[in-house]
Amino acid sequence: MLVVAGLCLSFSTMAQDRSLSGKVTDGSGTPLPGVSVLVKGSNRGTTTDGDGTYKLSVGEGAKIVISYVGFASEEIAVGNRTSLDVAMREDARQISEVVVTGLATSVKRSNLANAVGMLSAKDLVGTTTPVTADGALQGKLAGANIQSNGSMPGGGFNVQLRGVSTLGSSASQPLYIVDGVYIDNSQNSSGRSQANKATGGSSASTQDNNANRLADLNPDDIQNIEVLKGASAAAVYGTRANAGVIIITTKRGKGGKTKVSFGQDLGAANAYAYYGGSPWDAQKAQDINGAAGLALFNAAAGKSTDWERVIFGETGRIRNTRLSVTGGNDKTSFYINGSYNDESGIVKNTGFTRASIRANIDHKITSWLDLGTNMNFVSTNNDRGWSGNDNSNINYGYNIPYTPPYLQLYPDAQGNYPNSPVGENPLAIRDRAVNNQKVNRFIGGLSLTARVINKQNSSLTIKMNGGLDYQSGLAKIWLPSDLQSQLGEPNPGFAQDTRTEAINYNLQLAAIHTASVAQGRLNFTTSAGIVQLGTTSNSNYVRGRGLPAGVSNPGRARTFEQDVDYRPNTDQGVFAQEEINFSDKIIASGGVRFDRSTLNGDPNKWFAFPRASVAANLHNFGKWAENTPLSQVKLRVAYGQTAGLPAFGVLYSQMSVTGVGGQGGLIPSTALGNPQIKPERATELEYGLDFGLFKNRVTAEITVYNKKVFDLIQPLTTAPTTGVTSTSVNAADLTNKGLEITLGAEVIRKPNFSWFVQPIVWYNRSQITRLDIPERLTGGFGATFGQWRVKETFSPTQIVGQPRTLPTTDPNYLNSWTVYGDQQPKYEFSLNQRITFLKHFELSVLGHYRHKFTVVSLSRVLWDEGGNTSDWNDKNLAGDGTTRNGEYRQAVNGLDESGNPKEGYNPVVTSFFKIREAAIYYRVPKSTLNKSFGKVLEGVKLGVSSNNLFRWTDYKAGYDPENSNFGSSALGSGVDIGSAPLVRRVMFHLSVDF
Amino acid sequence: MKSKFIYGLGAAALIASVSACKLAPVLDPNFPSVDAVTSNASKAQLDALSIGQFSLARNGLATYTQVVGVVGKELFNFNSTESRWWTELNGIRPIDNSAFYNTATTAFGLPVRQANITIKACDNTSAVTDQQKNGYKGVANTFKALAYLYMLNAQGKNGVRLNVEDPFNPSKAATYAESISAIAKLLDDGSTQLDQAGGAFPFAMPSGFRSGIAGADFSTPAGFKRFNRAIAARVALYQGDYAKTATLIGQSFMVLTGDINIGPKHTFDPSSPDIANPLLNSTSVRIVGNQKLWDAAERGDKRLSKVAVQATPISYTAAGASYATPYLAAMYRAATDVVPVIRNEELILIAAEAAAQTGGTAEAVRHINAVRTANGLGNYTGATTQAALINAILKERFYSLWYEGHRWLDMRRLNRLGEIELPVSSMKVLENMERPVQEVNWDTRIIR
Repeated sequence: MLVVAGLCLSFSTMAQDRSLSGKVTDGSGTPLPGVSVLVKGSNRGTTTDGDGTYKLSVGEGAKIVISYVGFASEEIAVGNRTSLDVAMREDARQISEVVVTGLATSVKRSNLANAVGMLSAKDLVGTTTPVTADGALQGKLAGANIQSNGSMPGGGFNVQLRGVSTLGSSASQPLYIVDGVYIDNSQNSSGRSQANKATGGSSASTQDNNANRLADLNPDDIQNIEVLKGASAAAVYGTRANAGVIIITTKRGKGGKTKVSFGQDLGAANAYAYYGGSPWDAQKAQDINGAAGLALFNAAAGKSTDWERVIFGETGRIRNTRLSVTGGNDKTSFYINGSYNDESGIVKNTGFTRASIRANIDHKITSWLDLGTNMNFVSTNNDRGWSGNDNSNINYGYNIPYTPPYLQLYPDAQGNYPNSPVGENPLAIRDRAVNNQKVNRFIGGLSLTARVINKQNSSLTIKMNGGLDYQSGLAKIWLPSDLQSQLGEPNPGFAQDTRTEAINYNLQLAAIHTASVAQGRLNFTTSAGIVQLGTTSNSNYVRGRGLPAGVSNPGRARTFEQDVDYRPNTDQGVFAQEEINFSDKIIASGGVRFDRSTLNGDPNKWFAFPRASVAANLHNFGKWAENTPLSQVKLRVAYGQTAGLPAFGVLYSQMSVTGVGGQGGLIPSTALGNPQIKPERATELEYGLDFGLFKNRVTAEITVYNKKVFDLIQPLTTAPTTGVTSTSVNAADLTNKGLEITLGAEVIRKPNFSWFVQPIVWYNRSQITRLDIPERLTGGFGATFGQWRVKETFSPTQIVGQPRTLPTTDPNYLNSWTVYGDQQPKYEFSLNQRITFLKHFELSVLGHYRHKFTVVSLSRVLWDEGGNTSDWNDKNLAGDGTTRNGEYRQAVNGLDESGNPKEGYNPVVTSFFKIREAAIYYRVPKSTLNKSFGKVLEGVKLGVSSNNLFRWTDYKAGYDPENSNFGSSALGSGVDIGSAPLVRRVMFHLSVDF
Repeated sequence: MKSKFIYGLGAAALIASVSACKLAPVLDPNFPSVDAVTSNASKAQLDALSIGQFSLARNGLATYTQVVGVVGKELFNFNSTESRWWTELNGIRPIDNSAFYNTATTAFGLPVRQANITIKACDNTSAVTDQQKNGYKGVANTFKALAYLYMLNAQGKNGVRLNVEDPFNPSKAATYAESISAIAKLLDDGSTQLDQAGGAFPFAMPSGFRSGIAGADFSTPAGFKRFNRAIAARVALYQGDYAKTATLIGQSFMVLTGDINIGPKHTFDPSSPDIANPLLNSTSVRIVGNQKLWDAAERGDKRLSKVAVQATPISYTAAGASYATPYLAAMYRAATDVVPVIRNEELILIAAEAAAQTGGTAEAVRHINAVRTANGLGNYTGATTQAALINAILKERFYSLWYEGHRWLDMRRLNRLGEIELPVSSMKVLENMERPVQEVNWDTRIIR
């Protein structure tokens, strides 16, 4: 706050100080504690106490600036008043909010030179209760392509900010910082894809389909989220910021009267739509499943069971409970929140629970020294079931498409599951197989802020903070030995116990100096400091095959595999930054950060990340705007650099241990290490125009950017017959260019009715501008089904596949793939609307449209091969009137006459519109509460909300175009195979404030 | 004010301490490194490299054997989760150069590299005697040649890259003739080195090469050389040099009246770091025999035990092509079952063919009868023209070497691919596997 005060300085005399006091309330008269009240042009300021009252001394002719998160700032001339009450107005656009731009400094949003995505608690959890924080961002941010990896409980999202920032080697996901703590967001392996043979070998696999660990953070704790989308905004985070930085600030106490809030959600989750349901007759049973199929069809004697609905037709229940207490006194304030989220899936025995307790405590040790701590303990438990790719007919997501309705699969009275002739009995997997992941996690931070110098026109603050993120995970996989699939194995029964320990720590020391010169018209904020970040990830597993009946402990198996993996690394950085504010007219800043890391080839080489930006608030130049509708006009330009580090292990040429005939030996890895590897470096130039009309009732933020990433680490795919298949080299550059437009309008603003609309539209185009390795295909399951092509002058997210387009005699025949489309959408559009009516009702709806993006779907292939696609028997596709669709589609590939992928082929160009969130709330009037409960209750809110209330899509190749068999990654995410239906959630909410 | 000063001082001290220290490089905490063995290798490291060579001799075994088997139509992989075993490898759909079956070629790069690393490690150390070095090198060259032979079998007329010491500058693929000559030369080099390797290897041989499992002792340089010469005989046969074949057979471990299963074996153990037998049938992989050919087997042929006859034929359908056969592969039943590298039975049949091709009719019949007798059948009674004898030998080879990866190569080297029995009319027989896309890309890459 002090820094902001410094920035807002303008001249004022100190003569004839006198006292001013008052009360700050929201629109409905509820007192607002913690509101910042500053004397404009001085360092003087205070915050309101628990009753919303403030007191401070002001000079002659002073103006006070009142600001608070989520409300429009107000600037009020005091005149000769001694008492001044203020009723603040909710600010849908948060134009006056303070944005953390540096490692130790912040700036008013109206002075910001970057389009920083800002979301408040109301934006995140105000409509409905999201499972995870990344899920709560979907459709709410320009420039963010956020895709769900599937619909199993517990989350799992792929977040790409302003296009792809790596081609797979460096971090594909943004850096998450919670209250100054750099947190782990990995997807931990569990061995499920080894259990079902989706992947071979012993390596960790993205096909385990686990959630990214942001799932451990309770979204309800979040006060606000700032999204630094590109290098120009994130430069100060240096070497880990290429994929963007997401800064999460949790709620803190504001002092004053102790406030207790209780919230309860009750809800249900159901499949949005099903896929199968094709009728069967004897001939079809014979054609697809042979004589055995025909026999079973006849034996069923017309009895038909829709196994898809049996497996995916459960109603999941949602129960979320939270209790928070905030309060404190003038020296100490606290926020304590305990919450329990419990959500079961649409498949029996799937679910996600999260128990979280948080204590954020602030204490003023002396008048100049503040201490802040934030501590969060979380325990999550996730049963994600069995969906996705499979090579042993175990996953029900993979197996249901093959399961015809004439089968009898229910267990008998003794609990024996009949064998299925098309693989594993899906009911047996659902009821008996285990895929569980538990995480216990502590995230804690400590900060000390010392205002060493605090004068009228200058100040020096020293901030020290440290953070720790400790995570201990246990994943268990169990396929009992008497399952049908296991009986065919040489060692029936599979169990794996995987332990993961992730420890991140970070330390930061910064000094911030502010100076105000030229009668406060020119303000300087200088900051400098050092940071150190250490991450260690240790994991080990024991995998056993050949288990005794009923035993899930892999230690009791006949044969074992095990591994231990250590990944330590340390980064260090030094930074300095200068911000200059000329009377809120021109705000310029420049800075540089130097980083080094043990992940680079040379751990002691410093890499420099400069940045610079200028914002010009044209409306503050003179008085020209005063009599126009324009309330704000800002032009801004920002430039910055960041980097992405090589993945752990790139440096090393490894040998692995092998055994044969009772002897142990060494063999080289087919990957060669590169001790010269450098980080991937990004530069970004961002321009923007922000304007506000009618006292910012209508706002617009328009941004264009050009983000270039250099030295992208690529696998140099060598000729594999050399025994080396690849090495990592800095070999490619790419650009991301895009446009982001965020509009906001309070169309109607009346006491009894208000209507706020926020249309957002954005797009990104990526292009590889240099590629020093041969073009290559990556991701997916081979060119037959569609893959990502890395090729110079083309988009890295382009999807290509069979057939080849040139004659076999052409020298370029082998690489002449058919181009199907791009995984990135042509554009995305979202529309957020909030309507308040009859004073106490609020309706909000968030719609999100994604236009023409390409999905590699193998789901329909499974359904067609199994004979169960809903239109399998129809004959409208082939054009000959006799070939059934399900058979026709199995033989098509390529493009049709109009250049679209032929219906039935794996890459599909599709669009969707989803009502991501919708809710209606009723706030019980204070008078009613007082009448019914005396003065015990401060507020009661009731509501009903939904996720995926409505979806339109032209996607016919699977349940939903948002799916990823391969988890979150820059290239290769977005493959739909063996997935589960989209889930619609409906919840009732009750919150009570005491 | 004093405390403020102390605070400032503490902060300054922290800055100084963090920025002054250097970051120590993180050594790989998980694996030993290649660099550690390529110069000044210890004897223990060379021993480990040699054992690694035996382990890598199993690289690609399943994919190679099954791909070669399917392409030659001696067997089919009724794979419930991968229909390309049926569609693309049988020519029902176009072959892909970036699919899983590239492994039938690419898996043999690593054993070649292992041999090159071993040879380089021997040349750059003084920790062992020259005699010991010859032992390591003889083993390395023998396995290097065998790996190249499998690679060349898959690639056929495409040939293989013969110089891959520098993975960033490998030679272009040589012609088939050049490639197979180079393989013969590698075997001869290995043989010479084994001659100069003394009476014993410096390391303990894996059990699959000792007499207990192999049926004869291949664990000494002299014994291992007999294995080397056996492979060389196979190579000479492929080259059509029948006189040389006969000579090499004489130096191999062939015993005309001995156990037909004598020969070194790949051993398996499902416990890491060893691997399980990869040729086992599983829930998704079902290897089945070509019905027409197995139907034609003579009654009482012991080789019928290689397949389990199913009461209900196993059927498979993909891309509109259906097939059913009652013959399910039954050679491997446990994860620890051994797989032969090369067997006496093959050597006897190689000797028979070399004899038939060079007019040694009686010699050929004698060898054919040895195999028939061992398999519980009466003597050969057919015609003894050269063509008839070759046909007879091919027939014996089908049953004797079924699921060992020979049928396709036998028919190809004798220009008889057109005679392969196609159970489904839309099938075609590939002449060779496509060059893997990464191989093509490397040769067409833009050099900067």
